[in-house]
Amino acid sequence: MEVSVIRSCSQATNPKTELGFSDSRFSFGKFNEKLFSRKPNSVSFESPLRRGKSGLRITAQAAQSDRLPKSKSSTKSKTLNRIRLFAGLPLDVVSGGTVNQFRAISAGLKALKLLGLEGVELPIWWGVVEHESMGKYNWSGYLTIAEMVRKAGLKLNVTLCFHASSQPKIPLPEWVLDIGKTKSNIFFKDRAGKPYRGCLSLAVDELAVLNGKTPMEVYQDFCESFKSAFSAFIGSTITGITMGLGPDGELRYPSHRGFAKSGTVPGAGEFQCYDKNMLHLLKQHAEACGKPKWGLGGPHNAPAYSELPTANTFFKDHGGSWESPYGDFFLSWYSSQLIAHGDRLLSLASSVFSDSAVNIFGKVPLMHSWHGTRSHPSELTAGFYNTATRKGYKEVAEMFARNSCKIILPGMDQSDKYQLKESLSSPELLLAEIGTACNKHGVGISGQNSTVGAPDGLKQIKKNMLSENLNDSFIFQRIGAQFFAPEHFPLFIEFVRKLNQPEPHSGNLPTKEGTTTATDSVHTRSNLSIHMQSA
Amino acid sequence: MWPHGSIPIKDYAIETPFKKPSKDDTFHEVKIDFNPSSAIEAIHFILKDEETGASYQHKGRDFRVSLVNYLEDDGNMIHAKSSFGKWPDAVEQLPNMVLKAEASCDSKNENRRLEGFYEEQPIVKEVSVGNMVNVAIRKFPDAANIVLHLETDIPGDVVVHWGVCRDDAKTWEIPAVPYPPETTVFRNKALRTLLQPTGNGSRALFTLDEKLDGFLFVLKLDANSWVNFQGNDFYIPLSSARSVKGQSDSESEETSGKAHTDGIINEIRNLVSGLNSEKSLQTKVKEAKESILNEIEKLAAEAYSIFRSSTPSYPEEDSDADDAEPTINISSGTGSGFEILCQGFNWESNKSGRWYMELKEKASEISSLGFTVIWLPPPTESVSPEGYMPKDLYNLNSRYGTIDELKDLVKSLHGVGLKVLGDVVLNHRCAHYQNQNGVWNIFGGRLNWDDRAVVGDDPHFQGRGNKSSGDNFHAAPNIDHSQDFVRKDLIEWLCWLREEIGYDGWRLDFVRGFWGGYVKDYLDASEPYFAVGEYWDSLSYTYGEMDHNQDAHRQRIVDWINATNGTAGAFDVTTKGILHSALERREYWRLSDQKGKPPGVVGWWPSRAVTFIENHDTGSTQGHWRFPGGKEMQGYAYILTHPGTPAVFYDHIVSHHRSEIGALISLRNRNKIHCRSIVEIVKAERDVYAATIDDRVAMKIGPGYYEPPSGPQRWSLALEGYDYKVWEASS
Repeated sequence: MEVSVIRSCSQATNPKTELGFSDSRFSFGKFNEKLFSRKPNSVSFESPLRRGKSGLRITAQAAQSDRLPKSKSSTKSKTLNRIRLFAGLPLDVVSGGTVNQFRAISAGLKALKLLGLEGVELPIWWGVVEHESMGKYNWSGYLTIAEMVRKAGLKLNVTLCFHASSQPKIPLPEWVLDIGKTKSNIFFKDRAGKPYRGCLSLAVDELAVLNGKTPMEVYQDFCESFKSAFSAFIGSTITGITMGLGPDGELRYPSHRGFAKSGTVPGAGEFQCYDKNMLHLLKQHAEACGKPKWGLGGPHNAPAYSELPTANTFFKDHGGSWESPYGDFFLSWYSSQLIAHGDRLLSLASSVFSDSAVNIFGKVPLMHSWHGTRSHPSELTAGFYNTATRKGYKEVAEMFARNSCKIILPGMDQSDKYQLKESLSSPELLLAEIGTACNKHGVGISGQNSTVGAPDGLKQIKKNMLSENLNDSFIFQRIGAQFFAPEHFPLFIEFVRKLNQPEPHSGNLPTKEGTTTATDSVHTRSNLSIHMQSA
Repeated sequence: MWPHGSIPIKDYAIETPFKKPSKDDTFHEVKIDFNPSSAIEAIHFILKDEETGASYQHKGRDFRVSLVNYLEDDGNMIHAKSSFGKWPDAVEQLPNMVLKAEASCDSKNENRRLEGFYEEQPIVKEVSVGNMVNVAIRKFPDAANIVLHLETDIPGDVVVHWGVCRDDAKTWEIPAVPYPPETTVFRNKALRTLLQPTGNGSRALFTLDEKLDGFLFVLKLDANSWVNFQGNDFYIPLSSARSVKGQSDSESEETSGKAHTDGIINEIRNLVSGLNSEKSLQTKVKEAKESILNEIEKLAAEAYSIFRSSTPSYPEEDSDADDAEPTINISSGTGSGFEILCQGFNWESNKSGRWYMELKEKASEISSLGFTVIWLPPPTESVSPEGYMPKDLYNLNSRYGTIDELKDLVKSLHGVGLKVLGDVVLNHRCAHYQNQNGVWNIFGGRLNWDDRAVVGDDPHFQGRGNKSSGDNFHAAPNIDHSQDFVRKDLIEWLCWLREEIGYDGWRLDFVRGFWGGYVKDYLDASEPYFAVGEYWDSLSYTYGEMDHNQDAHRQRIVDWINATNGTAGAFDVTTKGILHSALERREYWRLSDQKGKPPGVVGWWPSRAVTFIENHDTGSTQGHWRFPGGKEMQGYAYILTHPGTPAVFYDHIVSHHRSEIGALISLRNRNKIHCRSIVEIVKAERDVYAATIDDRVAMKIGPGYYEPPSGPQRWSLALEGYDYKVWEASS
């Protein structure tokens, strides 16, 4: 009997039995197939993927990942299947201490587990847990979820949300809003003096404005209470904790308010330095710098929220105030305040959870509109002093590295070609810029998407997963009706299944070899043969 | 130059039968005389097996004999130095093909003419041999032993690799002596007995202890060929013989386990020793993957339907859902993913009164075409002969045949590897008696429901049940599925059908008539292998012209599937409707939706879409919505290459389309196209639609031009017919 074996790798590894990711197809003759030969005298094995570098690569990696325990280190031999995949639970999965849509969540968890996801992300809201009065915590609904997740055999990444959500509507704790009614300066304010009630101003972080306690103390109590309530889960089921850092949980100023209508060009956004305490800090800083006049307010020539950057002179590409000494003074201060705020919260989290085996994350926004201008107005108003002439994410990455925290970057599903041309936006470039800064400082990056169903979103995510922009995990946001819709979910399944299977790059395949393989494998064209992918 | 007996095939080929030159000759031959000075450059041919319809080609293309030497070799020329794709085979029946060509040299021609060559080209012929294995068990009164007699007509030496078991788990063990002659112990796990030759086969007698539960065996033909029963060991229960001991004076009670081996099964398992474990593991992986995917889709459907109905449910269900462990239910109602469905009847099938028997004759033929599932007509007693007006659900004597004939048919179908779907009409039921107002709404038979089982919103039938949960079918009382007793009875009935008849799944009639959530209950309880619902309503038209966007139509079907929690698939009526317009009006652009995906249910939820072009209602002698005439093959070229589970109508497999359909099915099976295959639409224009599927198959329909690009796949044309072509990747 002659057996010709064509294999791309001599190391035969049994395929993982647990699920249907590795898309290896095993094709045997159907068992009830009519038989034609009683003495089959040749068998050939051939990988349906052509022999080539890509095929070989998977095999080797599969073997490797079997042996290596999951380790956080070594970003060198990064492979797709080492990026842990999470899906976010609905924002309003818990309200008033109970789990909403319990059955849907329970079915969803099972589906995700079967699909092979690492775990889920659970947003825990300050406004839900510490709703009624300060220091009175109700974790019950979230504990139920944690238990469901544990039972489902999934991991949990918890996001502590010290902000409010507008859709679905989840406000800050009632007692905090009550305080805000009389002391509106606990909130960020824009030039018009309009408060932003989505989170507290970073300027009050260390002021005792909440019934005699500082917000930092309140956040700390919250974290401590969380830690004791979830002690049974932390380090086992709960493997990650994301610290809310500002509006929408992101480290930024609420420079854009309300939702931008789709299809309209977003404005530059507004600086948020007009609450009493911010102004006070600014004034102190200006005086310390010997420029007291610069400390009286924010830039007078910055455009309003929805105005184009060109509507005023601050962000002008050439000769704009942002490039002036005043501009540098203001922007340095404005961004350093934000970084200091992030530093306070992340070091708080690191110290509270220092004895727990969890990763701490913080989320940095992807302010990609107007990235094509020299001044990057959206980034500046959001608090990132990153322009054509200044690399601003260095300090951010340093701050994360200092606290041994990992960074979450959203917008991994956004590709340049689907952005409005007029907005000079480039999510891809910005992502690469932040990614580079993080890699330089050894900060792990976890990715997120911004929407479900962005055009070619899954493709873009996969591209990012293959790049240096992502090396820790990916959190798909988020499950819900749209996620499970027949229009989307099959694509997601396909996406997950293909993660372990690198795209065949046609350029990679030596064409000559392809030809020889084809002739070698003529045998397999006949029905008699057995096709078997060996890896 | 046509040899004797030749007939023209259309205008491009000639079919000539092989002949034996003399009686003693072992070869068949065909002689083609031609004039060397004619302009003939080459002769193309393929070989066709009249019996099976199979054709033999050379590297997937025609054999080609060049008669001049200046022709370029496109790779399929014989007498060129190309090696053959098939290896020399040792099977006796295997015909070797001998090519002989002789021609006188015409020296005046500046191109040298072929002088003659002789070349042997081995081809592999698929021979399906029907062999039998007969097993008879005899229990003699007063004896403590059972005698098992095994006989087969498989020629040559046959070794029985056997053991016995004492439990349902069918764990092999070696029984106590005595053993038949020529028995050896194989690795302490089984026994091997060489069968003793008889006149036309071989046999053996086994004496077994009566306390044993069963006899397990496989047949070993030679070092590499094994025969088993559809992938499993043959299993002969012995307990039944035990229970009938001591019956009358006649010497024995005979249970005969007849296993039709259906040809000698090409047992791959032991082809390469050492790979065994790997192989079975991999098969399991594949099965598990399919069931996991199904499970995922079901769960997602459940989650989707709850999330979509934005009313949050509060945790009164906590307790029961809490302990619901994530058990994986393999029986998914959606089959393996590689199913191909055959509708095994038409509107006239009831006429003869013996359809079950007629269909039984065709069982192996249908299976050999490559189908995996067959849909049988509604089996119940019915007011209309076709069966869709059921009366007594437990009376399965119908115009198609008796209940016993039905059981026999199902057994035969199972024997050839087909899964069987019962056509169940759950929406309505005809009454036996009138109520006091003379309205027919009181039922008889085993399910003697009264008018509470009839929906309350159809004035014709004065039901006392609740309002219908769907559309009403006005010709008969619609059943009120919201009644617990109705659901309980129907579940019991379905389980009875599964058990008693052996149905593997359901085709659900008129599911528009009631809520899909009830269907979920029925399917959860009856655990079908495959289930498909008929949700047929009209597509959307504006001023008589079909709209391009049929999302609303497919959404209604998807909503129904969702309501069943994805436990059932549905006929993809949307795809049929769009194919009508696309083909009839030359509007092939319709076959791509706004997102560049297939526009039917198959574009949204392929694993639950059962694609079809015709059924007993739309076509047959009713013709309510007939597929555009003459374009059927384009329709099949579409559905049989695309994802979804394709269904082929009976009329078409007994028509002249049969061989083309068979070829498409085998192409689908060969390329492992399944219900979730990825389709990429390459062209959707006025007169042509083209797509590639899983990067392994390319197809086009329509009169317009399309050829797949030359790329790493190296496409080769596999099938071609009127306005359609299908290519396979050859690398």
